Amino acid sequence: VNGTVFMTFPVTATSHTLADYRARGGYAGLEQALRRHTPDEVGERAKASGLQGRGGAGFMTGLKWEFVARDAPVVYLCCNIDEGEPGTFKDRWILEHSPHQLIEGMLIAAYALRVRHAFAYIRGEFDLPLRRLQAALQEAQAAGLVGDNILGTGFSCDIVVHRGAGAYVCGEESSLINSLEGRKGFPRNKPPFPAVRGLYQKPTVVNNVETLATVPWILVHGSERYAAIGVKKSPGTRLFGVSGHVERPGLFEKPTGYPLAQLIFDDAGGILGGRKLKAVIPGGSSTPILTGAEIENVTLDPESMGKAGSMVGSGAVIVIAEGTCMVRLLQVLSRFYAHESCGQCTPCREGTDWMNRILERVIAGRGTPADIATLRRIPSGIQGNTVCALGDAASMPVVSFLKKFGDEFDHYATHGRSLHDGRLAP
Amino acid sequence: VSAPTIKVTIDQREVEARPGETVLQAARRHGIDIPHFCYHDKLSISGNCRICLVKVNNLPKLQPACNLGCAPNMVVETSVEQVQQAREQVLQFMLLNHPVDCGICDKAGECRLQDYQHAYGPKQSIARDPKHHKRKLHDLGPRITLDNERCILCSRCVRFTREISGSSALGIVERGHHSYVEAQVPGRFDDAYSDNVIEICPTGALLSNDFLYKCRVWFLQPVRSVCTGCARGCSVKVWRRSSVRQQHMPGTDSSHVAYRTTVFENPDINGPWLCNKGYDQHKWMARERLLQPLVRGQAVAPAGALAEAKQLLETARNPAVLVSTHASNEELDVLQSLLGGVTTYVHRDWLPVDGEVVEDHLLIRADKNPNRAGVVARFGDREFDPAAGHDVVLAWGEMGTALPLGGVAWIHLTPFGTPVDAPATVVIPLSNTWERRGSFTNFEGKSNPFEQVFTKPAGVQHAADVFRSLAS
Repeated sequence: VNGTVFMTFPVTATSHTLADYRARGGYAGLEQALRRHTPDEVGERAKASGLQGRGGAGFMTGLKWEFVARDAPVVYLCCNIDEGEPGTFKDRWILEHSPHQLIEGMLIAAYALRVRHAFAYIRGEFDLPLRRLQAALQEAQAAGLVGDNILGTGFSCDIVVHRGAGAYVCGEESSLINSLEGRKGFPRNKPPFPAVRGLYQKPTVVNNVETLATVPWILVHGSERYAAIGVKKSPGTRLFGVSGHVERPGLFEKPTGYPLAQLIFDDAGGILGGRKLKAVIPGGSSTPILTGAEIENVTLDPESMGKAGSMVGSGAVIVIAEGTCMVRLLQVLSRFYAHESCGQCTPCREGTDWMNRILERVIAGRGTPADIATLRRIPSGIQGNTVCALGDAASMPVVSFLKKFGDEFDHYATHGRSLHDGRLAP
Repeated sequence: VSAPTIKVTIDQREVEARPGETVLQAARRHGIDIPHFCYHDKLSISGNCRICLVKVNNLPKLQPACNLGCAPNMVVETSVEQVQQAREQVLQFMLLNHPVDCGICDKAGECRLQDYQHAYGPKQSIARDPKHHKRKLHDLGPRITLDNERCILCSRCVRFTREISGSSALGIVERGHHSYVEAQVPGRFDDAYSDNVIEICPTGALLSNDFLYKCRVWFLQPVRSVCTGCARGCSVKVWRRSSVRQQHMPGTDSSHVAYRTTVFENPDINGPWLCNKGYDQHKWMARERLLQPLVRGQAVAPAGALAEAKQLLETARNPAVLVSTHASNEELDVLQSLLGGVTTYVHRDWLPVDGEVVEDHLLIRADKNPNRAGVVARFGDREFDPAAGHDVVLAWGEMGTALPLGGVAWIHLTPFGTPVDAPATVVIPLSNTWERRGSFTNFEGKSNPFEQVFTKPAGVQHAADVFRSLAS
């Protein structure tokens, strides 16, 4: 309830409905955009707000829209609801409690980009979010907010919901496009970028749920007000999902530049059972891990996080208490990436599985110090050499874990057992 | 007006790239070798093998040369340490689960993976993990064996069936390191161009059932020839034992065996493709030969048969010549120069047989003879007319029995057949296409030369020599 853009209302049994959304001022942004602005003006507002993509890469949204040729006859918009990054659960919250906010954002973006058909690509595992999104679309359609001649302004846009089939890699924009086209979810080589040739070979913009759902607020309250929130270089508020060893895990809306320690110790209630903080994965499982000591003065914005050697990513803060075995933790992560590698390009297909097998062996007590040395060498062959970012995502945890908790790995490989007994240390 | 070109620097060499050309293509055209597995000139760009990574404009991240368009003043480095290291790592990844069973692999010796491993690979593997096992040596279709363990998933074969042959019969199924190549109907990959995937496979994953374990490729030597299967006249390589190996095999027939036929890349006519009939040429060229000259069914010496034929022709009132569409242009020239005023007809040696693809979008033509165009250009396109009242017919070419020649004295010149199905008055055995050199003119009027592969067996004669002795 104490949020600015998203958490502005108490969650009730009806807060996801059109009536409730209207009651809290919903669809005013769409009205304003369609009646008072040209598409280019909407694009300028998005750019002036300084809004950055919330999917993980943090690319300037206004700039992304600008890359689409003005005279392109057909442009597509895709909303990326393939929220699969381990630890992330922000888009799910938006869809479950305020799906109309996303629909409104998509329509405004579609207006700015002159899009006739927009697509909502939702991950196959999402059940309630899917039902809420479909129900909301039906409501919106009945109210004349989606489809032909929206609000009588002559602007038409349909939103097509497409369910994914359970692949993490389809959250990458070009494989999302391939999956939408009915192909295997293989990422495409870039260039060409989707803004030039994307869905059905046409210019395409792929945006994250949180990004699009922020757009109505910017139109209603003005880009200057949005730009004034948080830090200058990446303004606004973000949804941070805190999970792991904390007393009150959950989703928090905070302005950028919010101290990470405050998020963990105040908002999330501190470490479970009053234990010591060992480490934090600050932006989803792909981002480099930070030790407890490292997060002290870190704030939740790209600049501060970059200085500390990590990224804000998708805003998924995974908190790890003292006593956790880092070898086991890394193996859980590496198993995920080995499972989710699409298998298209060589370094990722072979490398992710190789790292996982070495870690499995170490966990089973059959590792050697040479295995750890090999594990240190593999990521350099993957990072930067793959078609998409999954290879990098799989490598970064391995590199950072080994750098910061190398002694635990050496100990496990040498003695065949963990340095920690698995119980959380007091 | 010359097309505008783009200046790029590759390995400190300034080269001219054509508009739209990728770095890999421009480098190749200028003789700079950038290793590549998945890239193929005639297939779409996949960019999945990652061996062609190069350093561009000193950017920290390497770029795949196969997907990188040339831009003005681009500076490309293909052999700096970072690139070499990336190649080593990619090869390490490729060989991680590859069985490295070159010793029992037919592809060894002409394997891209082997070549690149020797040229760019790490000296030693750093892996100590047991290899993942996949299905080994199983039939992908009636003609092709697939070894999934040797496959590097470059997707060349998949793209071939989608983009060139059009059957879309192959695909990669499963995900991650579980991925493997599979036919749409497992075990039933029977595209009319299926054997091309063996040729374009950069490893020993796809192998020819026919050639499987027949011979090590380094004992063989290719000879440029032309497929006689249809009027396209695709260039082929006929693989015979190399001359060095023949010395070690005295007295055996293996020096006269064609082990396999593969495509000879000829951009003018067939590009890098060849149909399955072309890949089978060595099989149908091994059909029964006629080696014994005959006169009225009795075996005679070559000279006797020639004398008999000469006498028949000299005493004829109204002779005719059926000209073989399997004859080379050079032979046709000899015949033309010696013919005088004799009536000539085109003889179609071969007609489509049951089950054969008659004609399609890619290469296969309905006319199953390689040099009809050459015959027509010299002798016109009249077909034989039984009502014309010829008393002696010189039939040059195969399938003599199919001709309506009842009651006429005829001389049959043919490389293939048996005495039973050659009831001609005089039968003179000829050399076949592989036993002489020459050229064919295909249906588009393009001339395509072929070399001599084997020496002709005793008892047979070249058609040109036969004509010369008949005319003397």
